[in-house]
Amino acid sequence: MYKYSEKDKSIIESRTKQFKNQVQRRLNGQLSEEEFKPLRLMNGLYLQLHAYMLRVAIPYGELSSSQLRKLAFIAEKFDRGYGHFTTRQNIQFNWPKLPDVPDILHELSKVEMHAIQTSGNCIRNISSDHLAGITIDEIEDPRPWCEIIRQWSTFHPEFSFLPRKFKIAVIGSKKDRAAMLVHDIGLRLIKKDKEIGFEVFVGGGQGRTPIIAKKIKNFLQKKDLLNYLEAILNTYNQEGRRDNIYKARIKILVKELGIEKFKLLVDENFKKLSDKNLEIDKVSIDKIFSFFTLPELKPNSHKVQIHKNKEYNEWVTQNTLSHKVSGYSIVHISLKSANHPPGDISSQQMMALSKISEDFSFSEIRVTHEQNLILPHVENKNIYKLWIELKKLSLATPNIGLISDTICCPGMDYCALATARSIPISQKISNHFKSFSDQKILGDLKIKISGCINACGHHHVGNIGILGLDRNGQEFYQITLGGSAKEDASIGEIVGPSFPESKLIDAINTILNTYKKNKKKKTEDFLSVFRRVGIKEFKKDLYDNT
Amino acid sequence: MAKKLRGEFFILSANDLRTGEVVFLTEKGWSVNSSEATIIKIDQVDKFQAISDRDEKKCIIVSSKFVELDENRKIKSLRDKIRNSGLTFKI
Amino acid sequence: MIILNKRHEKENEYKKINDRDFLDRKFFDGAILNLAQWVEIKKEFKNKKVKIGIEFSSNECSSSNESSMSEISLIQIKFETFKDGRPFTFARNLRKKYGYKGEIRATGHILPDQYIFLIRCGFDSVEIAESDKDIWIEFLNMDNGLYYQP
Repeated sequence: MYKYSEKDKSIIESRTKQFKNQVQRRLNGQLSEEEFKPLRLMNGLYLQLHAYMLRVAIPYGELSSSQLRKLAFIAEKFDRGYGHFTTRQNIQFNWPKLPDVPDILHELSKVEMHAIQTSGNCIRNISSDHLAGITIDEIEDPRPWCEIIRQWSTFHPEFSFLPRKFKIAVIGSKKDRAAMLVHDIGLRLIKKDKEIGFEVFVGGGQGRTPIIAKKIKNFLQKKDLLNYLEAILNTYNQEGRRDNIYKARIKILVKELGIEKFKLLVDENFKKLSDKNLEIDKVSIDKIFSFFTLPELKPNSHKVQIHKNKEYNEWVTQNTLSHKVSGYSIVHISLKSANHPPGDISSQQMMALSKISEDFSFSEIRVTHEQNLILPHVENKNIYKLWIELKKLSLATPNIGLISDTICCPGMDYCALATARSIPISQKISNHFKSFSDQKILGDLKIKISGCINACGHHHVGNIGILGLDRNGQEFYQITLGGSAKEDASIGEIVGPSFPESKLIDAINTILNTYKKNKKKKTEDFLSVFRRVGIKEFKKDLYDNT
Repeated sequence: MAKKLRGEFFILSANDLRTGEVVFLTEKGWSVNSSEATIIKIDQVDKFQAISDRDEKKCIIVSSKFVELDENRKIKSLRDKIRNSGLTFKI
Repeated sequence: MIILNKRHEKENEYKKINDRDFLDRKFFDGAILNLAQWVEIKKEFKNKKVKIGIEFSSNECSSSNESSMSEISLIQIKFETFKDGRPFTFARNLRKKYGYKGEIRATGHILPDQYIFLIRCGFDSVEIAESDKDIWIEFLNMDNGLYYQP
């Protein structure tokens, strides 16, 4: 894992002090709310429906056991005993008090964490593949590159007041597990003639104008990464729209100019502005990479234990994956048990999990963009023991990738922007589809739920997407079908008129029946069937009463 | 000046600047208890807006808004109801 | 209002030209023209070094208004709102793309919290209220000189 240098420490400390000063000035009236808002947002502090909300960065989703313990402590001492993991691999606390926030940031800085740039119109926390560094299909570990970008983008003097927020994802495999193609910039490590570099995508995004990112560069040399990012950001900062918040993301600029014209501007900036000092040399690359080595794993021939316990077997099938080192597994911890807000975790669970990670997974934990956790290196021979421990904490729900493993935004229960609730919908779904065998029949299936058009719940890229709307004061839910956030990314199509909450589960059942009856073989998943038969079949069954 | 409001009766709500808690304007000042909130007629909105602006300047509250009431003098919209009574599920 | 150059207050040697003087082409030393005025008379100054300033609104900080302005001794950028980040890129491009060597000054709605960013993007000075001087300097003093960017 990355460890802060003296410089990192000093930068974070100075920011913590600066924010303390800003909070003081706000409390005594020297800063108006209008002036304070962008400053607090740059430190991850929102004002939500009921209270302040603090979003803490978990760079590329990686946590140590001591960091998780600190998060548990913060939830307990300054909040209401729980936190919420987000689709950007961050964690949110929903009830902090303004005067406490500088203290929380101070506590975080002790474990090399912060809330910088988790909000506001700046470059946000960099997200990545939650399986980075531990799968076989990887060309190169993306995390060191995320860290390089994290440093470069932190307090960037030129890019802290962009037209709108800016999200970057880096992946290292052909497989996309980070929704890279719906980011403002997506980077994929690729190999060309033995050299590893980046494929660069730009202008993807969700929200009210969902767009799959366009490729802007086939191959970018590693040394040029930061200069190229500067060229894109420089172009966007100047040319991006500032007259209309809904048109301010880079995707709109790329769409309005066309990718070819946008590329010309970027290339020109790249030529004219490239700075030798921003080129990354091999020594600094190697240095960053040295933080991301595997712990001392001992390859062995142990297989995951078979057991008589049916529940255990279900969990093993669904929640574990092979590690690239033989004898080890990657274990998913689902935060989607029935009747539980997706992505939420209590401070007791965090505390216990911190200890579990020390006992079973070299003190490492990861957060996935699908709002679950991972223990990255668990010895196969310890899997059953681990399961017993997780089960005690209600953290052994066997549903990773199944219908009840929904992505879900906080919705109108928390969010000031939402037009409808989303958590109760997710709970209804996970309750309705509780049985493991029923879920297994439905196979890989991603339901993603957003409580408004801003699409924090990624509904556009859900195989089944659910969008909450306000119809004359009533909550209605629009369904989209066929979205995907993977390497074959696609935006879902609206299936038809929306449903009131009371009819939603029936509608989903109808959609699932259409899938089941059109399935050609047992293994054909929902998305494949949808792509083969098209939306018409689903529409017909859903809306024609004949 | 308040945004264009629809409706006849309102209560004035905001967040406490320090705690972030949802508060309502009552005869005795800001309170977390909406049932004590002063009922405001549409033609009194400007007067109450001035109170809200004053208290915002005094760093007591932030993000104030008029919450519309229905014919039974109850909070009308679902969002405002949730804002008043809290989460709709157990945590 | 005072002019702060890094930590030091300095005399304001510039003043906006009024319409009358502009029409009469009375360009005194230290006159500040707006962008439209500059465009109108720019030819007259070609290759002449003059002590003259141009004021850009942050709305005008687009790449189409970037060009060599080596004749000009002051470029003043008026922030319509501190949230508008275009001037940061504009100033940096003037320095890096066009090698502009004169003074770049920020005025309008700016916050002391932005002081270090302004300087690092190529601004030399800010125009602020006299009563704010201490807090601006305080923010500059918080700078420990450690940055992730060159």
